Amino acid sequence: MSSPASRLTLRQSVALVWRTLRSMRTALVLLGLLALASAVGSLLPQIPNSPERVSAYLVDHPFWGELFLRGGFFDVFGSWWFALVTALLFISLVACLIPRSRAMLRTIRQRPVQAKELEALPHFASFAVDGEPEVATARARSVLRRRMYRVAVAPDGRGVAAEKGALRETGSLTFHWAFLLLLIAVIVGKGTGYTGHATIVEGQTWTDAAFNYDGDLRTGRFSSGQHTGAGIHLISFQDAFRTSGIPMDFTSEVELLDPDGTPVRRDDVRINHPVLFDGLRIFQYGFGWAPVVTVRDRTTTLSDGPVVMVQDAGPDGNQLAAPGEGFVKLPTLRPQYAIQLELIPDSTAFIQSLMTGVPQPMTQVRAPFMRYTVWKGVLTDPSLSGLDTRFMRKVSTGIVGRGWTVDVARGCVISSGSGSGLPTGLARTTRCPAGGPAPALTLSFPELRRYSRLQISKDTTVPYVLGAAILILLGLVAAMYSSRRKVWVRAEAREEGTVLQVGGFALQRKDRFEEEFPKLVAELRAATGGDRPAREPAEAGAR
Amino acid sequence: MTAARLSSDLFNAALFAYIAAMVLSFAYLAFRKRPFHTAALIVGWIGVAANVGSIVARGVAAHRTPWGNMYEYSVLLACLVVLAYLVIVEWRYKVQTVGGFVFAFAIFTMAMATSFFYVGPTDLLPALNSYWRQIHVTSMIVATSLLATGCVFTILYLVKVRSERRELSAMRSQDPPPILGGAVDADAPPDYVPGADDPVGEAAAPGQRRGLPPSATLDRLAYRFIQFGFPIWTFGVMCGAIWAQQTWGRYWGWDPKETWSFITWVIFACYLHARATAGWRGAKAAGIALVGFVSLFVTYYAVNLWIAGLHTYAK
Repeated sequence: MSSPASRLTLRQSVALVWRTLRSMRTALVLLGLLALASAVGSLLPQIPNSPERVSAYLVDHPFWGELFLRGGFFDVFGSWWFALVTALLFISLVACLIPRSRAMLRTIRQRPVQAKELEALPHFASFAVDGEPEVATARARSVLRRRMYRVAVAPDGRGVAAEKGALRETGSLTFHWAFLLLLIAVIVGKGTGYTGHATIVEGQTWTDAAFNYDGDLRTGRFSSGQHTGAGIHLISFQDAFRTSGIPMDFTSEVELLDPDGTPVRRDDVRINHPVLFDGLRIFQYGFGWAPVVTVRDRTTTLSDGPVVMVQDAGPDGNQLAAPGEGFVKLPTLRPQYAIQLELIPDSTAFIQSLMTGVPQPMTQVRAPFMRYTVWKGVLTDPSLSGLDTRFMRKVSTGIVGRGWTVDVARGCVISSGSGSGLPTGLARTTRCPAGGPAPALTLSFPELRRYSRLQISKDTTVPYVLGAAILILLGLVAAMYSSRRKVWVRAEAREEGTVLQVGGFALQRKDRFEEEFPKLVAELRAATGGDRPAREPAEAGAR
Repeated sequence: MTAARLSSDLFNAALFAYIAAMVLSFAYLAFRKRPFHTAALIVGWIGVAANVGSIVARGVAAHRTPWGNMYEYSVLLACLVVLAYLVIVEWRYKVQTVGGFVFAFAIFTMAMATSFFYVGPTDLLPALNSYWRQIHVTSMIVATSLLATGCVFTILYLVKVRSERRELSAMRSQDPPPILGGAVDADAPPDYVPGADDPVGEAAAPGQRRGLPPSATLDRLAYRFIQFGFPIWTFGVMCGAIWAQQTWGRYWGWDPKETWSFITWVIFACYLHARATAGWRGAKAAGIALVGFVSLFVTYYAVNLWIAGLHTYAK
């Protein structure tokens, strides 16, 4: 295998691979593949964006679903083949950029080269001027300098070579290199960062730790798993709606805490106005109701605190018109108990919905109440949001207004406070008979709070991504809108006097140069005193 | 009359003006009678005025900048396409025969707007309430209008190239062969040809007077429009990313609209690279631009009509 012929073949094949990678054809094919893969990613449901639609697809199309799942088609942008195409594209890019950058540096260092036979250039003019050739040359040089040309004077002092438009290649290279920067910044940022959601009830404090997220924490591949420990205390949540029911604004008033619990500052998290704290970006994401519920048996308080309510109106319904749903689970009792709660925050809107048949959004607090259903049996559903009633039996149902206390074992009202404002039609509930034994299980609804759902993201490279994007844009504009031009001036001493010859050509935007060149010639003429009548006819313009 | 009513009346006026301008432009292309062209220009400008009036009235009716949903984008897009044609093609490049196709595109856009996307002037969701919306949407619409106009010229270019090839082969097969026979190179890159932008109306040389402008002119117009639109598209996508970072907490999430704007970007990047590469110029590059055209349409319409995602303001 050490024969020179086979070594040459190896070297040739490496060179061939390198040449192929560097060719524009390869780059175009890879770009095409990237576009194609992305199209697949937008047409098939993707696990990171809509996992529930992926599951539905797997159920509906078992064969294709399985095939797509194995091939990574449900996570195109995280698949190995998407990464491979991207990697090949960037290798091809770098392979192309290194020699181009070298050549660019060489060109910048080089001075423009003199030319002979200017008459042969696409654009040419000649005219008689005042003074010695060296003087005319020096004047022409300053005109060209003023017009942003890079200039070099010939050794004999009678010619100028001028170039402009190096910005074109510089811009193009900046544009392409900045993509590499962008890719690295994105990989580092997404790889080491994390994002998830936090649910905080008014008056409560949340701490950045992996187990405090709503079970949807997404951590980057190269993450250390460390969290900041920073705290967010929700002071209040406010929303504003137009009369049409269209939301205007959502604001979470928060106090931000150090990892040791010291308050640092207060801030407002609003839609489109995230808050940056301790490397975390905090965004307003969602909101809902959290009634404070106290459950007691004869002797002790079994549960006391806000219950986070979920509003689910189905795919097409107005979520604001749906009642909030939540549970209080009492696993310590024997038999176990669960209280299912359904919150109506605005009874006026609720009654309107009942009367008109059109669900009304419930955006304000007006005589709030909850319907409760008490279940007894075995708690099998470990999740906080669901309730599995297969091994449970319904004990009682009823309603509880704000400020009320009810006996849920018997389904009667112990105290309804004063002026709860519930409409009489709804408030028609049985009062517990006075006297008798202490109730076995009571439920109170002392206040209605709100919770805010915040999105918490850590991504340290966002400024670098922005910087790379700005470089991409600047490079692109420079590359597209600057054009290379070459101009030569030659002064000759002839018997009739000094004659200045100007020749030039454009590498891009040749039509524009057709207008530029006569203007340049006119300027040169004016600067060199070339407006005295020429003995030979002067000509300017395109040939 | 309320501003909303005025807006929809002016919309109809603009639509009918564009239809009239289209008919007149095609009449000029077919018969080369100067009055047709003059009338098309006048009616076209009236259409633009009505279109602008419709947009302004809509803004007054909704108390906000009137580009917040697909209907409003489409009305703005039609306006910008016609404006770009009248200013750049008619005025700057003095090419006068292709207006009908541009008006046809504007009519299509407006018809799509009324039939699929119409909504009354209403308020926006708070997530759309950002000044990045103005910048992002404005640049996306401007870029879309430029790229789409470029693609109209690409199609015309491909049509013209075919007919030029046919003429050429007809010339070659003639007996005895014409003097030009061996000298015309049909595969030459359609780069700048001096005189390609010369007027092709009545002032043009007799040989150029029939049909579309020469393929070199069409190709160059297509290239100029796409070259103009591409950086604006890039800027628009970047503004969208900045806005997404503020609103959704991530600058890029492969949402269908994002994905398709990326695909469109990649395809037009391919076109620009192909244009700069020997062996890909001409029809091959034009083919890539056509794929870009399709992708542009998917980005603009199909994503909203058929693919669910975060950009579902159109519903």
